[in-house]
Amino acid sequence: MMQKRQMEILEHTQLTEEIFRLTLAGGIGAKPGQFVQVGLGPTWEPFLNRPFSVHNCTKTTLSLLYRVVGHGTRLLAQKQRGSILSVVGPLGKGFPPTKRRQAVLVAGGIGAAPLYYLMRMLRAEGKDVIFLYGAKTAAQIVLEDEYRSLAREFYLITEDGTAGTKGLVTDLLPQILGENEAEIFACGPNAMLRAVAQTAAEKKLPCFVSLEAQMACGVGACLGCVVATADGNYRRVCADGPVFAAEEVFRFGS
Amino acid sequence: MAPDLTVKIGNLLLKNPVMPASGCFGYGEEYASFYDLSCLGAIVVTGTTATPRTGNPPVRITETPAGMLNAIGLQNPGVEAACVKIRRLQAYKTPVIVNVAGNTVEEYLQVIEVLEREKTVSAYEINISCPNVKAGGMAFGTDPDTAAKLVAALRPATQKTLIVKLSPNVTDIVDVAKAVEVAGADAVSLINTLLGMAIDVERRRPVLANITGGLSGPAVKPVALRMVWQVSEALKIPVIGMGGISNAKDAVEFLLAGATAVAIGAANFRNPTVCPEVINGIENYLTRHGFQSVREIIGLARTQGDR
Ligand SMILES: Cc1cc2nc3c(=O)[nH]c(=O)nc-3n(C[C@H](O)[C@H](O)[C@H](O)COP(=O)(O)OP(=O)(O)OC[C@H]3O[C@@H](n4cnc5c(N)ncnc54)[C@H](O)[C@@H]3O)c2cc1C
Ligand SMILES: Cc1cc2nc3c(=O)[nH]c(=O)nc-3n(C[C@H](O)[C@H](O)[C@H](O)COP(=O)(O)O)c2cc1C
Ligand code: FES
Repeated sequence: MMQKRQMEILEHTQLTEEIFRLTLAGGIGAKPGQFVQVGLGPTWEPFLNRPFSVHNCTKTTLSLLYRVVGHGTRLLAQKQRGSILSVVGPLGKGFPPTKRRQAVLVAGGIGAAPLYYLMRMLRAEGKDVIFLYGAKTAAQIVLEDEYRSLAREFYLITEDGTAGTKGLVTDLLPQILGENEAEIFACGPNAMLRAVAQTAAEKKLPCFVSLEAQMACGVGACLGCVVATADGNYRRVCADGPVFAAEEVFRFGS
Repeated sequence: MAPDLTVKIGNLLLKNPVMPASGCFGYGEEYASFYDLSCLGAIVVTGTTATPRTGNPPVRITETPAGMLNAIGLQNPGVEAACVKIRRLQAYKTPVIVNVAGNTVEEYLQVIEVLEREKTVSAYEINISCPNVKAGGMAFGTDPDTAAKLVAALRPATQKTLIVKLSPNVTDIVDVAKAVEVAGADAVSLINTLLGMAIDVERRRPVLANITGGLSGPAVKPVALRMVWQVSEALKIPVIGMGGISNAKDAVEFLLAGATAVAIGAANFRNPTVCPEVINGIENYLTRHGFQSVREIIGLARTQGDR
């Protein structure tokens, strides 16, 4: 259940110059695709909590995988093992249960974070997972072995060709999908999500995307984080998402 | 003995002087999983208009030093749909205050007319101070005559407590406050957000799609406190103080300045359990200083002899 918890840092590992993995003590019973809001107080700078996807969740631990991009994440990176963080969650609706036997997970950069937990749960259900991991450059790929070991098929692709194939995830996606009746789950930059959604639409495959937005409350109360949906309404990324059916948020010229 | 926390606003008896600020607490349900909402002095729901409003396009919020800007633009499902959500609050043993907004006097009246049928609604907070909509909103709150005319038109429509929410975006807030008191308001609440903006230097354009937004959070507290001080000195009706309250000490400052009750807005976003924490903190403060009732400290900073 959604709660505010004081959680102790069990492990805080720097994986690359910018990317860290944080493991906290305590189970929060999150579903894949849900997120938490982390408080960086006690000062007013930054004032708001920061949203991070659940990277992994067990009965006794919660892990986050994050990239340092600004003030808040820089402060987070300085927190030491043993210190206590205020964590609100689990928040949002996670990825929906799959009806299909096969899932294709598409990660763009730090968008890989929630897909680890999703892959773990899909595997536990006996699903067949193909993982497509894209990034700008090799230095932004983390935990390759852990992702690779859970996936039946694993593909790496970088924009500069420093790891795996050179190109964009959507260069590889059509051939990976082939004639498979797969369901697609994607998390990453908006441009990538749109391209993945377009490929899915062309192949008539169900596709779910995890979105980001500036957030304040994270619980659905402030209406600050809305995204425009294809039908012209606004929906809250925090409470109605962050996972949306692709056709709900992307529209392609008809 | 535990100190008495009850206060009166119009004909509302509040079990304590702490409520969430409108627009920062949705229709209550979002915070119900964090604590029992019955502990609140009142529940204040989001700005409600006669017909549904889609609100402003994103980006709607951005963080600022010790605070945030918002330009939600009064997104709400309209009063009829809002009633369904408001009825669910019957489950909590605390008064429900509905924030009422509109473009015209008629629209405010229409909202009240519908809400008059709802037993769950104890009071109205008339929003004449929303800085994020084109028509109406703040336009009613920046001129004393316009504000008074609106309140005079609404007063006969209800026996329920009428609170008027004032805008800080004026030269003299006391003028507006006095005008609405004369026009029949039972209480005033202040402050709504301060008009501000932020620019994204990388993209070289305003951060908010609406360009401007309302500033709230700890950054506005000194301004809000000063205005509460001035208004409560000039008015006989009670003042609900808000603006940057994030802990019990902040709340006590507003009470000492003359507020009869306080509301907490943006701090809920940072700490979803801030309201019950502030209630407990006020009680501790009173006990620590030997006060029997919270009413003893209302305006106390103004009446402590020579300053
Ligand atoms: C539901 C959700 C889940 C998320 N999960 C993760 C996660 O698992 N791992 C992770 O590393 N990040 C995640 N994010 C993004 C993360 O919340 C932001 O990177 C973080 O809030 C930035 O805080 P900051 O103070 O460091 O940056 P700020 O100082 O606030 O911003 C610094 C710079 O980063 C940019 N920025 C801010 N927020 C974002 C964003 N959301 N996406 C891209 N750029 C941004 C700003 O525009 C600015 O240029 C998630 C966001 C959401 C909404
Ligand atoms: C996201 C957001 C939405 C708000 N919506 C409303 C509203 O609908 N009606 C209203 O009268 N005030 C609204 N306000 C103003 C608050 O009720 C309050 O007056 C202001 O934020 C100052 O208090 P704070 O500093 O504690 O947030 C809103 C404020 C925020 C931050
Ligand atoms: S962040 Fe407040 S509604 Fe989503």
